[in-house]
Amino acid sequence: MNNKLTKIYFDPYLFFSICLLSILGLFFLYSASNADLSIILRQSAYVLLGLLIMISVSQPDPDLFRRTSFLFLVFAVLLLGITFLFGPEINGAQRWIRLGPVSFQSSELLKLALPIFLANFLGDKKLPIQAREVSITLSIIFLAFFLVARQPDLGTGLIVALSGLSVLFLSGLSWSFIGGAFVLLVISSPLIWNVLLEPFQRQRIATLFNPESDPFGAGWNIMQSKIAIGSGGIFGKGFGNGSQTQLNFLPETKTDFIFSVIGEEFGFIGILLLLSIYFFILMRCLYLALTARDRFCRLVIGGLSLTFAANLIINLCMVVGLLPVVGMPLPFISKGGSSLMSLFFAFGIITSMATHKKFLPQ
Amino acid sequence: MIFEERQVEKNNFSSRAIFIFLFIGLSFLVVLNQVFLLQVSSYSDYELAALNNKTYSVPIQPLRGEIFDRNGHGIVRNIKTFDLITKPSSIDDVESFLQLIKPVIHLSESEATQYLEKFKEKAFVNKELVLKKNLSSEEIARFGVRRFAFKDAFIGERYRRMSDHPKIFSHVLGYTSRTGDRDGLLLNMPRSHWQDTELVYANGLIQGVTGLEQTYNQMLSGTYGKTVYEINSRGQLGKVLEVEPAVPGEDIYTHLDISAQMSAAKAFGSRKGGVVAIDLESGGINVLFSAPSYSINKLANGMTAAEFQEIITNPSKPFFNRALQGRYPPASTIKPAIAMFGLTKKLVRWEEEIDDPGFFMLPENGRIYRGWNKGGHKNVNLKKALLVSSNTYFFKLAYQSDMQELASYLASFGFGAKVCGDCFDEDGAFLPTPDWKYNNLNIPWFTGDTVNIGVGQGYMVATPMQLANYASILANKGRAVTPSIVQLALSDGVIQNNDQVLLDNKDWINLHDALTGVIESDLGTARSIRDLKNFKVAGKSGTAELVSLDSKEAYQDLRGSELLRDHSIIIAFGPMPNPKYAVSVVIENGESGGAVAGPVAIEVLKSLLNEQ
Repeated sequence: MNNKLTKIYFDPYLFFSICLLSILGLFFLYSASNADLSIILRQSAYVLLGLLIMISVSQPDPDLFRRTSFLFLVFAVLLLGITFLFGPEINGAQRWIRLGPVSFQSSELLKLALPIFLANFLGDKKLPIQAREVSITLSIIFLAFFLVARQPDLGTGLIVALSGLSVLFLSGLSWSFIGGAFVLLVISSPLIWNVLLEPFQRQRIATLFNPESDPFGAGWNIMQSKIAIGSGGIFGKGFGNGSQTQLNFLPETKTDFIFSVIGEEFGFIGILLLLSIYFFILMRCLYLALTARDRFCRLVIGGLSLTFAANLIINLCMVVGLLPVVGMPLPFISKGGSSLMSLFFAFGIITSMATHKKFLPQ
Repeated sequence: MIFEERQVEKNNFSSRAIFIFLFIGLSFLVVLNQVFLLQVSSYSDYELAALNNKTYSVPIQPLRGEIFDRNGHGIVRNIKTFDLITKPSSIDDVESFLQLIKPVIHLSESEATQYLEKFKEKAFVNKELVLKKNLSSEEIARFGVRRFAFKDAFIGERYRRMSDHPKIFSHVLGYTSRTGDRDGLLLNMPRSHWQDTELVYANGLIQGVTGLEQTYNQMLSGTYGKTVYEINSRGQLGKVLEVEPAVPGEDIYTHLDISAQMSAAKAFGSRKGGVVAIDLESGGINVLFSAPSYSINKLANGMTAAEFQEIITNPSKPFFNRALQGRYPPASTIKPAIAMFGLTKKLVRWEEEIDDPGFFMLPENGRIYRGWNKGGHKNVNLKKALLVSSNTYFFKLAYQSDMQELASYLASFGFGAKVCGDCFDEDGAFLPTPDWKYNNLNIPWFTGDTVNIGVGQGYMVATPMQLANYASILANKGRAVTPSIVQLALSDGVIQNNDQVLLDNKDWINLHDALTGVIESDLGTARSIRDLKNFKVAGKSGTAELVSLDSKEAYQDLRGSELLRDHSIIIAFGPMPNPKYAVSVVIENGESGGAVAGPVAIEVLKSLLNEQ
């Protein structure tokens, strides 16, 4: 430990693959934005800032995160409250908060705070987790979900819930409980469909199964996305040559549907490469989780990387037409500061958890 | 936490983490599979869908074929006019643009309003917009010298369909009009694209509505081309990706003869009726004229509502094509056919004479059928009967005939049916039979009815077209060629059927001799036109009675009302003895056949024979 002050904590595999993704992201964004340099410059600044955040966040010992996890959660919830009270309404939703010149999506913070808090909360509980802890955990998760979902932002709400549930699952929730919950979910699904979902959400799910039924309405996005990807073929149409992208048939090319841009311009080969990088990052996270120094670190790495995975998979399934359209960016590629910052933050924490080893007497 | 417990916890975590990451791996495979389905399995479908998305095809209008007469003179042509066309997308301030261009091109208030109405939309989608149609040469010149000031406007050529003889060819040519039937224009293109058609005609998408323009619409139309533009999701046109030029329609060469048609029109003056002239060799229709007429140029290129109203409310019905649709009793012009029937059935012989006291009495009931000449023509053989147009002779001959047989014999001359191969909306007129009368009027056919047919009166009616066709068969000694306006056959099988109306050659010579005598001999009923020409003509005149009367005195009372006066009819062919053309003329309410219709027929023949 004599070089403690000079040591820089970082995981080369994660670091370089994330760098690679971010650089590719800028490249794709250039095409998706119809070669808008100002967007690229701003996004580049975000990426640099993000890398800086990631490295900085990697340095403190995991104990710091453990000790501050409750405060962090309270802070995130407070921000949500502020958003609710003062946030501007954009497209019928209050998701953003302004702090001086910066505005960001407050729910992003909750995606980080909730799993860390739960990892700490469940990290010292005996196995199997007792009903009392389970119910406390579920209440917190539900509260977090509710706060986000009512913005309304169902997509992020589900991600927040999944980030909490994944920690609960990894920490040793009994299988019988999981089975019971699953049965309950199936039984209550008609209730969810009819009562909890907004009409536009039901419409989105309906169009998923039959997008051609309404090609100019709700089905438009899915249709155009599938056309973009499908018409890319094996090798793609080439950088900047995607007609669906460049002629604006594809919606939200810079954000939610940037994967379709990649599919159109780089084809199956491009997608295969991109997915390989994501897969590599996830495998690396799994390895780091399995070899982390303690239960808290394991749970945090597991929870955060699963949140990342859920985010990624939901976006992928959405743009290829397997899931209804929900607002969900493609990690490290889509335009946008908030989600990028929270991703770098998350991977900074993961790196911290993975690189700080304790040599305790066993 | 003790070590074992930690180890249990760690194992538990590991198995769960691996389990859930397996699930993630599975999700990756599902996504990859879906991407594979889209990009590899269904690639061609999506490639096509993307292509359909990004391209916008606009039809290019072809130029219609022109129509020429038999001497290669244009009857209807595409006349170039000039429109001022703008590109709204590159005009920043439309108001000042209009202010700037107003002194140059004389813009009316309504033209400016119309332009402004469409300006925004066209500017957004990057399409062209016509500012002013049909520029005068002065406006063109003024714009020409200032065109550098108007980079976003240019003069475009637009055609109009015009005839140099708009009034005399109106019925036969027909007219074109804006079409609503875009499906008929072939080319599988969505309907909405038609409104963006790159136009060649000032009137937009046009198609033949009547006459030759309609009959030969397909040939004249040509084939639409297309320009394929790149288009974005907002409907804005981008660069041109592909141009498939339009194929102009075929020109049509007709048998029509402009100078003969003009002669017919001139000879007609302000009278009503129809003329048809046929080339005996080819069956080609050289003249097809109906009076009164109207201007096709106006009809095709914009006519005021008042002008149109004037035409359709005119009691003379200018739109009515009398040459093809007018139904007139053939009157005495039918007599040669009756004579031929008599010869064929051996009911009469050339030398056989009968006494013509000026009337025929039906033996059954003593009913009297009068001739036109009081006192009759005394001793009459077949030749004399034709020369002097003895009604008594033909009453008697018809009386001896079986109507069923006579009707089918007359049908072989084309009566009662359409005879022209490529005429627009020809009428078949009517040839009665005993069955028809019984079934439709619930009265049996009387011998008296047949007697009336013998002089071309009664139920039988024919069109000038049918009469000309009949005259051409007489002139051709029985050879029947389907008449047609256009030189190439619409479909070979239809046009070139050479039916034969059979008669001994000796009889044909006698018949031609008798019909020549109608005009050329001192006895002939149409001798008044003998000196109008210096070649011999055969023919038969007729006076179609609109009202059946017993005496001339009664007719004198009737003459007061012009519309009840007799129609004047003639069929003629010449020059004899080797005729080249046959002609029929009907002049409504013209009275005496030979003297009134005759000169028109002679003028047409002279013109066709260049004997002016």
